[in-house]
Amino acid sequence: MANLEAKTYMSPLQLGIVVIGTCVGAQVMLSPRALITALEQAAWLSIIIGGVIFYSATYLMLTLGRQYPEETLVEYAPRLFGRLGGTVVVVWFNLLFFLQLIIIFSGVGKIITFYMFDRTPPEVVIMALLIVCTYCALQDWGTILRVQQILFFMAYGMLTMIWMTSILNFQPENMLPLWPIKIKTVINGGFLTWPFYSGYECVLLLLPLVYRKASFAKLAKIMGGAFGCMTLFFLMIIIIIIGVLTVENAKSVPYPVLIVIRSVELPGTFIERLENYLLLAWIPVVFGTLSTTMFYMGQVCMRQYRYADHRPWVLVLVPIIYMGSILLLDDQQVYDTVSKCALWTGLGFSFGVVPLSLMLSWWHKRKAVARCG
Amino acid sequence: MISGVILICLAILTAGCWDRRELQERNFVLAVGIDMADVYNPIETFTQPHGSKRYRLSLQILNLGTGGDGKDKSNTYVLSNTGESFFEMVRDMLGQSSKSLWFEHVQVIIISEAVLRQTGLGELLDFFKRDSEMRSRMHVYVTSGEARPLLEYIPPNKEPGGIYLSNIIDLHAKNIHVAGKRTDLASIIRYLDNDSNLVVSRIEMAGKVVKLGGLAIFKKDRFMGYVDEDTVAGIKYMFASEKSAIVTIPCPDHVDHQVIFELFRHDTRLRPHVEGDTIYFTLDINMYGNIGEFQGDTALDNTMDPRYVHKLENAFADEIRRTVLYSDRILQKEMKVDILNLFAAKLKAYEPNTWEKVKDQWDEIYPDIPLVISVNVWIQNIGSHK
Repeated sequence: MANLEAKTYMSPLQLGIVVIGTCVGAQVMLSPRALITALEQAAWLSIIIGGVIFYSATYLMLTLGRQYPEETLVEYAPRLFGRLGGTVVVVWFNLLFFLQLIIIFSGVGKIITFYMFDRTPPEVVIMALLIVCTYCALQDWGTILRVQQILFFMAYGMLTMIWMTSILNFQPENMLPLWPIKIKTVINGGFLTWPFYSGYECVLLLLPLVYRKASFAKLAKIMGGAFGCMTLFFLMIIIIIIGVLTVENAKSVPYPVLIVIRSVELPGTFIERLENYLLLAWIPVVFGTLSTTMFYMGQVCMRQYRYADHRPWVLVLVPIIYMGSILLLDDQQVYDTVSKCALWTGLGFSFGVVPLSLMLSWWHKRKAVARCG
Repeated sequence: MISGVILICLAILTAGCWDRRELQERNFVLAVGIDMADVYNPIETFTQPHGSKRYRLSLQILNLGTGGDGKDKSNTYVLSNTGESFFEMVRDMLGQSSKSLWFEHVQVIIISEAVLRQTGLGELLDFFKRDSEMRSRMHVYVTSGEARPLLEYIPPNKEPGGIYLSNIIDLHAKNIHVAGKRTDLASIIRYLDNDSNLVVSRIEMAGKVVKLGGLAIFKKDRFMGYVDEDTVAGIKYMFASEKSAIVTIPCPDHVDHQVIFELFRHDTRLRPHVEGDTIYFTLDINMYGNIGEFQGDTALDNTMDPRYVHKLENAFADEIRRTVLYSDRILQKEMKVDILNLFAAKLKAYEPNTWEKVKDQWDEIYPDIPLVISVNVWIQNIGSHK
């Protein structure tokens, strides 16, 4: 009997939803402090610049994928870089997902333990989340896609709605001066927003599913829309944090988003301690990011080692992801170092490997044409 | 089959009620009092390997048992302990409690002046800002006397004391003598993080009367002294934090009579101006409201006469200007404290380049910065009856 959940095609709009689902996740809770510490008052501007920068990177990936509409990066990387070079690129690509996964699992474990279940060890929280995510990642793409679509409309809507209540404490003057004095720092800061946008790299795996029926122009337009939505969402997070807490206050708290929402009092209602409600809405969002990222890792391994099924690889990766996450739990220095590694791995991949691959593919094609000619 | 068994085992191990805390197993702390530990009962304290018996921490706990039906019975009781670390004292207090102490419902923290004369506010609030159980919106008060008697106070309506004390300040919008908008824990922590000067509401108790009024002023986190209700009114005008206000003036035509204005709406703007090396601020206040009361011989009440009403508008504007100038003199010239960094924040927001130049000398510059005040009052109604 045919596997009804196996998916051979998806629309550009679905790809846009998947990219949003992969990118917007745990980092909205984990990353704002580091960004505000580095860029202070101008953090909001860097979010916009980051949106443009990482959309450009995605555009390059779409262009690269168009050269090989029936294949993923895992298949054409060895042809571009040679066998060893191709393996390095594929490992780099998968390392990117791995680093993101362990950072998110570890961060989520810490947050949930601190704010919700203070007697439960974070290791147990991580294990529980990992089991649920593994179950989802073991499904075929059709199921995962449906989960992402449901989460997109339900969890993100709920998260946004709860977060918007913090506007009650917003003080516009905390945002001033709006325009930073050091423009160069802000432009460089655009690259520091990578943790927010990270996950867009998944297009290199999913493009064959889209290119079978959709045009490049339509895809580029829809991805532009997806990045626009993400930029708006992240802007909303950063602007409200600074507007409610001020830059100096946001620098002093590990998770500014939770401190912002914690101080909301809804007039005329008995509802308080909104951080718990926000966390409840955030957990499904994180689940969406983690399960798809685990699926991507399984897919990369499956294709690299020419297996027919990604599921054994997902199961093999589970203990590795768990151990990696646990290693980051107790030492903040290790966590910060791994976060930095992830940033440089991601930037290096998007602005080193991808442009180089694109140039090599053009060069290969020109060489082939010249040979035929 | 095997994977199913593993899944069930994992579900049993990882789910469940590790963090379960039954309602009947909790003691809800409603208010916290911090005093100096000048005299203490050796039974209520503990042997300290480090630090000294510096503070007395008192907790007001909700008594779920009595429900407050007795005439003089309180539905709260107070536990105390002495030591230096608040966390250590709290944990040792479990030796006096049959249930675990639960801080999620703390409404107020009352700190005695004696403690603040010796310790910075930041140091005192550190435990409360770190602990994830604490509410951000709990109110912080300063009292010139001891904090514990305020925790033992039984409100006339038999409400739990902590809730009663907290609710008083929630009416600040209608009480020009109480500044309550940015005096909760979250705001105080925010100002401390920004190295700002801050204010905390003052609460006093005399016999069976408890009253909120005036403010304790802090330079950074150091206690500087109190300001009176008139200064609070001026501060609220400057911050535009009043929603309603009562302004009283002598009647322009009969000085032994009084006319009272009730503010309904206002439009207030405080703006910095920089001309060369000179920095000054302008405060423009436009107020709209009604005549609320005429005290004196009602036969002399001319409030139906537009010329008289116009005279009143000018007199009310003068009175509001006087109040603002009074506050400004107390804060700027006498205490030399830019409270909540009001002026500094405006300069930083609207003149960032100038702020970069003067931010290190702001404390020295601030007392000499001129404030130009313009007030307009519009009386829109004389009330429902002359």
